[in-house]
Amino acid sequence: MNYDLIIIGMGLSGLMAAKTSVEADRKVLIIGKGMGGLTLFSNSIDVLGILPLTETTPLRDGLSKWILKHPDHPYGKMGLEKIKEALSSFKALFPPPYTFQAINESNSLIPTGAGTFRPTYLIPSTMIGGTMIKKEKTLVIGFNGYKDFYPKQLANSFKCRSVTLSLSERPPSEINATNLARWMEQPPFREFICNEIIKHIQDEESIGFPAVLGLKDPIVVIKDLERRIGLPVFEIPVLPPSIPGLRIFHRFKERLIQKGVTFLLGYSVSKIYLNGSRCEGIEVFNPPILTTYTADRYILSTGRFMGGGLKANREKIFESIFNLPVSLPGPIEKWFGHSFFDKHSIHRVGLSIDSSFRPVDESGKPILENVRVAGTILAHHNFLEEKSREGIEIATGYWAAKNAIEQ
Amino acid sequence: MRNGKIISVLVFGDLVDEYMYEKIKRKIWPKGNSDPCIRCATCMAVCPVLRVTPLFPGPKQAGPGAERFRKEGNSSENEWVDLCIGCHLCDLVCSSDVPVSELTLLAKANYLNKKGRPFRDWLLSHLSHFGWLGSLLSPLINPVLNNNHFKWMLDLFLKIDRRRGFPAYQYPTFRKWFRKHSSKGGKKIAYFYGCFTNTNEVEVGKATVEVLEANGFEVILPPQKCCGLPMLGNSDLRGARRMALKNAPSLLQAIRSGYDLLFSSTSCGHMIKHEYSHLLNIPGAEEIANHSFDLFEYLRNLKESGTLNTNFKKLQIKAAYFAPCHLRSLGIGLPALEILSLIPGLQIDNIEEDCCGLGGAFGFKKEKFEISREIGKDLALAIGRINPEIILTDCEGCRLQLRQLTGLKVLHPVQVLREALRNPQSSVESVGMPEKIL
Repeated sequence: MNYDLIIIGMGLSGLMAAKTSVEADRKVLIIGKGMGGLTLFSNSIDVLGILPLTETTPLRDGLSKWILKHPDHPYGKMGLEKIKEALSSFKALFPPPYTFQAINESNSLIPTGAGTFRPTYLIPSTMIGGTMIKKEKTLVIGFNGYKDFYPKQLANSFKCRSVTLSLSERPPSEINATNLARWMEQPPFREFICNEIIKHIQDEESIGFPAVLGLKDPIVVIKDLERRIGLPVFEIPVLPPSIPGLRIFHRFKERLIQKGVTFLLGYSVSKIYLNGSRCEGIEVFNPPILTTYTADRYILSTGRFMGGGLKANREKIFESIFNLPVSLPGPIEKWFGHSFFDKHSIHRVGLSIDSSFRPVDESGKPILENVRVAGTILAHHNFLEEKSREGIEIATGYWAAKNAIEQ
Repeated sequence: MRNGKIISVLVFGDLVDEYMYEKIKRKIWPKGNSDPCIRCATCMAVCPVLRVTPLFPGPKQAGPGAERFRKEGNSSENEWVDLCIGCHLCDLVCSSDVPVSELTLLAKANYLNKKGRPFRDWLLSHLSHFGWLGSLLSPLINPVLNNNHFKWMLDLFLKIDRRRGFPAYQYPTFRKWFRKHSSKGGKKIAYFYGCFTNTNEVEVGKATVEVLEANGFEVILPPQKCCGLPMLGNSDLRGARRMALKNAPSLLQAIRSGYDLLFSSTSCGHMIKHEYSHLLNIPGAEEIANHSFDLFEYLRNLKESGTLNTNFKKLQIKAAYFAPCHLRSLGIGLPALEILSLIPGLQIDNIEEDCCGLGGAFGFKKEKFEISREIGKDLALAIGRINPEIILTDCEGCRLQLRQLTGLKVLHPVQVLREALRNPQSSVESVGMPEKIL
């Protein structure tokens, strides 16, 4: 099969690249060997959480200053306007009622399942309420037997009360995020838990739930909960798997399939064909079948170590599909900090690109003319420290595709 | 394209040279390797069985988790291992290349080999042996199959759930029909129709033949038996292998005569294309796999080369399409959806839901019926949101389940494609299409 574009990797950057390409009427194949990091970690959209938190200055002011200081960073290569355009394109995929919005165009603090606050930029409608959490005014709900959310711990740090509901009467099944999300979509279940919750409310003004309020139609779930309880309800991000991340994944998948994208979930690229500086095809091995797919252009968005884009052995770190040169943060002695929570410069490892997202060698010369690189596999950023993961994925996915299309 | 220089080759996480690649490719991946699992739990988020019952610990535990205890002579198999429905969704979402469902299948085989399988399991996996009789006696057997007293007896004595509807047998069989049919075309093509098409859904076979003929092919039917999937579903690897060994020679013969082999059932197709070689080590399986294609995958290839007959008439139908699990495991995308979307007037929505819950014989067993039905409920809800006139899906198992769940007309996509290719003036015999387009 021949395509206009083949996208390798099914994380947020790959999905964003596929969406951008198919909306420009290109024939697209997206291939990924698993559901990607989106379904593990993502809840809201971080753009640059490291910026000092102020309620009055919008993110764009801090971001544009930060960009000037970091010309090598993927943000530095795109500039403010391009990042904004990409974020708008992402937001357009989520029309009301389940939208992603920034409050006052700034970063906001949302509560986490660890009992901390974290700064983030675009917040799904179901989590907006969490930004207004107040001491002694929120009741945190947990479920007995649900091992990924401890309401008492949260209540302790947020100085409020919690209730752990017992579901012993409920459907016989393991209590995990996916199952809770499924039950939440059933009105009798909501009625049951709301009746329990109402008994415990004192003078609270809002109710915080773990982020399991339905997979398909969270707004219907949340509105119904609010109607029954009579108080605003919001979601708090929890440990993986992430239901809000799954919502994002499913939304992309739905749109891409509807638009005719060939969606190959579950397969890795086993081999590539190169001719000079052009990639001419990829081979996919689904034992015992080898299938070759060809395209004019390719986008590599395979992530770093967890996604499988980068691999390491005792001698070196390498890129796993094209064997592209990896930009390292100095000699190995400098890769790691002293303790686990220190800064580790190895977190800046990745691929270097030129202004049109093509991978480059040490001298800055493009290596492959029809391959673009997007997402966290890019070098010169540390999304963990910067709290910039989704912003980088969305913006580079969008612009790598734009560049590939306009080539 | 093939002359392109290969600079790097990645085989399951290791950079190797071309020579090693060829070597490893033939060895396939090591069976039973649970080490790459990083415990991320993505498979737990998609497992249909875990979603509805606490009795199954989920793919992460049942596969790689328990596998660590199955080594060194410690069998560590439990009754729950039998609850894996075999959908392969865990394999697809895994980003660490863990053969999750295969680990579970092999453990299940070990467990049931020791424990022994009830007569019911043998019966359910060998129904194809009696298909000819069912077809011949269909006027007598069909009423009995759905007779309440009979179902009570099956439930009581064999533990086949009385709430499960049985598919009716048809006479004549597809094979009988084909014998009287003279297929004409420029190029010959072999068709693996599968048992269910032969005795229970003859129209699927007829539609496949007619669509292929409309594209200029002459269809031939190589001698064939049940593909062996029902045995594999019961983790009876020996039984599955027996069936595969019966099929392989005649399929090879057809392929070596220069024909491509098509299948209209994604389940039979997945079995022949992937399980024959990798799991069952059938001689010649790789050659068969390389020349066999899903029907719509093949039609999509014709479209790519510009030779697909797209002389479609308008069909005013609102349909919903469901992608069966085994289709997803074929790794070919959703070719039926791509082809059907070319038909003018046909409104077709993809159902964004995973696994119908039937799992072949799984959904007939008394102890598993509730699980099967509960999984299906989510799918039925998703269909309700689309509110289609008909449902289309490539797998007979899914069609059975969807008929029972929704009461709607459920067809193979090729039946709609045939309808679109039929000359508007020709007399239209009943093919189970909604009345309004007949």
